[in-house]
Amino acid sequence: MILSLVKADFLKIKRKGMWLLCLIGPFGVVALQMVNYGVRKDYLFEQMDDRWLYYILNINTFTPLAIVLGIVILTSFMASIEDETNAWKQLVALPVSKRAVYLSKFTVVSCIVFLSSVLLFLFMFGYGLTLGMGEDIPYLRLMEYSFLPFFAALPVLGLQLWVATVSKNQAIPVTLGVVGVILAYSASLLPDWVIWKWPSLSNEWGHSYINALLGIGFGVFVYLLGMIDFKRRDVK
Amino acid sequence: MEYIVETKHLTKKFGKEEAVSNLEMKIPKGEIYGFLGPNGAGKTTTIRMLLGLMRPTSGSVQLFGKDMKNNRIDILKNIGSLVENPSYYPHLTAKENLEASRKILNVPKKRIDEVLQQVRLHGVANKKVKGFSLGMKQRLGIAAAMLHQPELLILDEPTNGLDPSGIIEMRQLIQSLPEEYGMTVLISSHLLSEIDQMATRVGVVSKGKMIFQDSIETMRKFAQASIQVKVNDNEAAWRSLLANGQKADLEKESVTLQAEDDGQVAASIRYLVQQGFSIYRVQEEKRSLENIFLEMTKEEQSG
Repeated sequence: MILSLVKADFLKIKRKGMWLLCLIGPFGVVALQMVNYGVRKDYLFEQMDDRWLYYILNINTFTPLAIVLGIVILTSFMASIEDETNAWKQLVALPVSKRAVYLSKFTVVSCIVFLSSVLLFLFMFGYGLTLGMGEDIPYLRLMEYSFLPFFAALPVLGLQLWVATVSKNQAIPVTLGVVGVILAYSASLLPDWVIWKWPSLSNEWGHSYINALLGIGFGVFVYLLGMIDFKRRDVK
Repeated sequence: MEYIVETKHLTKKFGKEEAVSNLEMKIPKGEIYGFLGPNGAGKTTTIRMLLGLMRPTSGSVQLFGKDMKNNRIDILKNIGSLVENPSYYPHLTAKENLEASRKILNVPKKRIDEVLQQVRLHGVANKKVKGFSLGMKQRLGIAAAMLHQPELLILDEPTNGLDPSGIIEMRQLIQSLPEEYGMTVLISSHLLSEIDQMATRVGVVSKGKMIFQDSIETMRKFAQASIQVKVNDNEAAWRSLLANGQKADLEKESVTLQAEDDGQVAASIRYLVQQGFSIYRVQEEKRSLENIFLEMTKEEQSG
């Protein structure tokens, strides 16, 4: 049941520009560094002995921003596809559980954001190679800064999807999302417990995997809350 | 009797307001059930509860003899529905719209072409629904509802937005369903004439209460014609009719005969002539179903 729902959901996002968004996000993040390194490559190379690490950290200044923004747009899109002609009623009147309907939406958004992470890895790796920063390529670090922000952002995904699916007016999740993007951008000023800080992968222990694990754990929790609330509500 | 739909004390409250109260709906198998009521009477709310979109505040819904509460998915496998305005994905083509439901319903792909043919949308199967007229969207909604050949088809105001020829086609399609596929159909409408031409059973709802539920024939009996007689002295004529054992009502300018057949009418008139009354007019007054419907819902509202 869940697989057919996911397939149907992938069909529904056809021609909605979501795949383009999936591409633009990681491309944009790397493109910013193309400009940065294009203009002042020599200066940037002097900043740190480990040029690859410095490059990755530069990229990571914008990754959280892009991920949070992407999640806000994708979740709101997902909900608005059903909201537009109130197709929720038709969808829920099919022989599917409401839990599965919610899980399917969550899965589709997660898949797109994860694919973005894969693309980010490829773009980051590809452009890094052209910079000539040495043969010693830090594959592990590249993966860390490509994929861990995704896991760390799962609570934001859960929250945005929840608000987007239960709001009649998409202005509400988008407003929340804008606040989230601002918070994600000012991550360094925030205490560790704020979920919008997590995608930046920084915390007082200095281990990025903590953010990813917290993200998965708390993400599942927020997801469950959203699902229970979605199931409880009447479909208008 | 085997009921496909049976609700017991079905009640739904929105805040303090009761949208549906103590509704008992019974639909036997193979019937076309017309669910009638003025706008805002609670028809759509009832239908939403039948589909499990809304939870009843109290009471129960049983479909195919199973309780909705615990068998929602099982029950929905045998139901096709179109609730209120048609829902669709405007950026997808007619075919893709049906494909989105088909994937979930798990029926063979050829069903899409079959139902598109049935609602005569096969010519625009690959066009985006965005550009469809309301009638075409409505037909697409009905096609989606019939995709998995359900045992029960629930259509909420299915002829909304259709042009006259579309309405006739829809009517013919709906009427053929019980015979050809053994489907049971529930149609809601606020237009009695529409129900009158399709339904075999009628339920009338007003202010959330079921005020009439029976076969359409029973309802038509209410609509039987009465005979009005105008004579020189209405009151004296009325008295002598009553004295003769005839049922009659005295009205302002005429006497109304409650006669069951033509013979009785003839006998009454003959009697009046024999009694020496001058008869000016004998006329038939038909109470339309429309009138009955209005009276029913009016009584409910004033009471």
